[in-house]
Amino acid sequence: MMSRVRLIETTLLVLLGLLLAAATVNDVVRQTHVNQRLIADLRSWRTYTGHDYHNLSIEQELYGENSGREVICGNTGPGVPKARTQLCLAIWGPVVDGRRAVHGGWYLPAKVEDVRADRYACFGLAAQGMCPP
Amino acid sequence: MSVAAASELSLTRIRSARWSSALAGLFALLIVAATAEIVLDGALDHSALIPKSPEIAGWLQGIGERLSYRVFLIAILVFMGAYAGVLALARGISKRWAIVLVGALHAIVFVGPILLSTDVFSYIAYARMGVEHGINPYMHGPVSIVGDPVYRYVGRDWKHVATAYGPLYTLFSYPLAPLGLKGALWGMKLEALLASVGTLALTWRCARARDLDPVPALLAVGANPLYIIYGLGGAHNDLIMLMAMMAAVSLTLAGRDAPAAATVVAGALVKATVAALLPFMIIARRRLAPILGALAALVLGALIGYAAFGIHGIDVVSALNRDAAFVSTDSFATEIAHLFGKPGVFPVDHDLLKGALVLIVLHLLWRTWRGYDWVAASGWALLAIAVTSTWLLAWYILWPLPLAVITRDRRLLAATLAVQVLFIAHQTSPFFAPVS
Repeated sequence: MMSRVRLIETTLLVLLGLLLAAATVNDVVRQTHVNQRLIADLRSWRTYTGHDYHNLSIEQELYGENSGREVICGNTGPGVPKARTQLCLAIWGPVVDGRRAVHGGWYLPAKVEDVRADRYACFGLAAQGMCPP
Repeated sequence: MSVAAASELSLTRIRSARWSSALAGLFALLIVAATAEIVLDGALDHSALIPKSPEIAGWLQGIGERLSYRVFLIAILVFMGAYAGVLALARGISKRWAIVLVGALHAIVFVGPILLSTDVFSYIAYARMGVEHGINPYMHGPVSIVGDPVYRYVGRDWKHVATAYGPLYTLFSYPLAPLGLKGALWGMKLEALLASVGTLALTWRCARARDLDPVPALLAVGANPLYIIYGLGGAHNDLIMLMAMMAAVSLTLAGRDAPAAATVVAGALVKATVAALLPFMIIARRRLAPILGALAALVLGALIGYAAFGIHGIDVVSALNRDAAFVSTDSFATEIAHLFGKPGVFPVDHDLLKGALVLIVLHLLWRTWRGYDWVAASGWALLAIAVTSTWLLAWYILWPLPLAVITRDRRLLAATLAVQVLFIAHQTSPFFAPVS
């Protein structure tokens, strides 16, 4: 009786292990695709602003984590992160030539997080309603 | 067998033993090197993997380079591979060398910075809330001490969250609060180190009491990459819970059922998860002593918790319910949701997972009633809690490990290590597409 129970347990464990392994591999592939999209977004910010800065922040939750729409913020002049006025760009769409389309954006004063109250000079369709009136 | 054949066989054995020793030595060196790499590189600030912290490992700066995710991943994968090698050759490793390896890993991590988690700053914040500011940490989050020096180091997600740890742990942490931020941080590191040493010593003792070779048991826990880098590196209070858990098992093996059950309750007053052992212990022993021991400890703990923190200090259920609603990207629940094309975990999934956990625990209780090893059943229950949790962190997969190495059901160790491997594998996506 107990050896049969053990056999059933082991079979279920192996099946569960396979499910977890498949889910893990699927998630690694999925996250790799997300990362490739983020790499394109950072490249888009650099091309758009003409600044080759590397300390950029990525906001994935503003438009929804699964929307594929990101906001990238970075300084408009040299300095440590958030040391200068920041330019945030809303980016989405397919990756073309390693970049994605900028659909709008806004500015932020130095040393503040990206919250609606601090945004100004919103531009483009994506920024509609993003700045305080 | 002829004399020549016998001597040839013994020569082959000697050669094979030498090769095994050399290989085990190489694996051990790789483990030490990987740990040192992470600690030395982590000692240099400005790594996303190292939480913002007061400078406690400044004297190690200048030896390593900034810890990048790529280097961290390579180091942890090397650690994992070498750990597998050490485990495979563990029977040939002497007691002395096993202790030297585990001791070296502990020493390296102890002198380094806090790794990978801001939790220790939450522990300090809760202690300082109670001692320095007279604020009940069971009613308010660290945001209530914005002006305190520890506040800026508390993780963003936890600033508004009241403590979910048991009252015994909170009281343990109070003497560290007046030591200042650096003093408290060193105190937390020391607490984690001592708890780890205690856990390993008790694991050794339990393995011997169960007629198992203690050296593989010691190495499987004390040289485990998640245990060393995530658990000890982050100075997590899970180590204190593990020590209580192994003390309870050790007491049961010595036939002291009432103190054993009381120790489980004490562990649960540090971190509630360990309470999962209690039903298995009671069912296996089939005596009144563990029930009485648990009840006595529960009453005493509740009185202390109530006296110190009021009703909120003993309201474990609401704290557990609150934490059960959290979702992390590393949880298997989230991964499975993604596998089936869902964006994430929904409220119904929480109910399904809780249902699955209840079924697993009921099956384990039935198996224990029918004579299955209660220590293994407890280990399976802890593993099931981690796997079905929507909030999975690396140190949660350590919970069943010390139990897994002292049971004869090797499936538990295999399953625990497999889950750990999957957890590490899940961290590898930046390896294929590094975002910078």
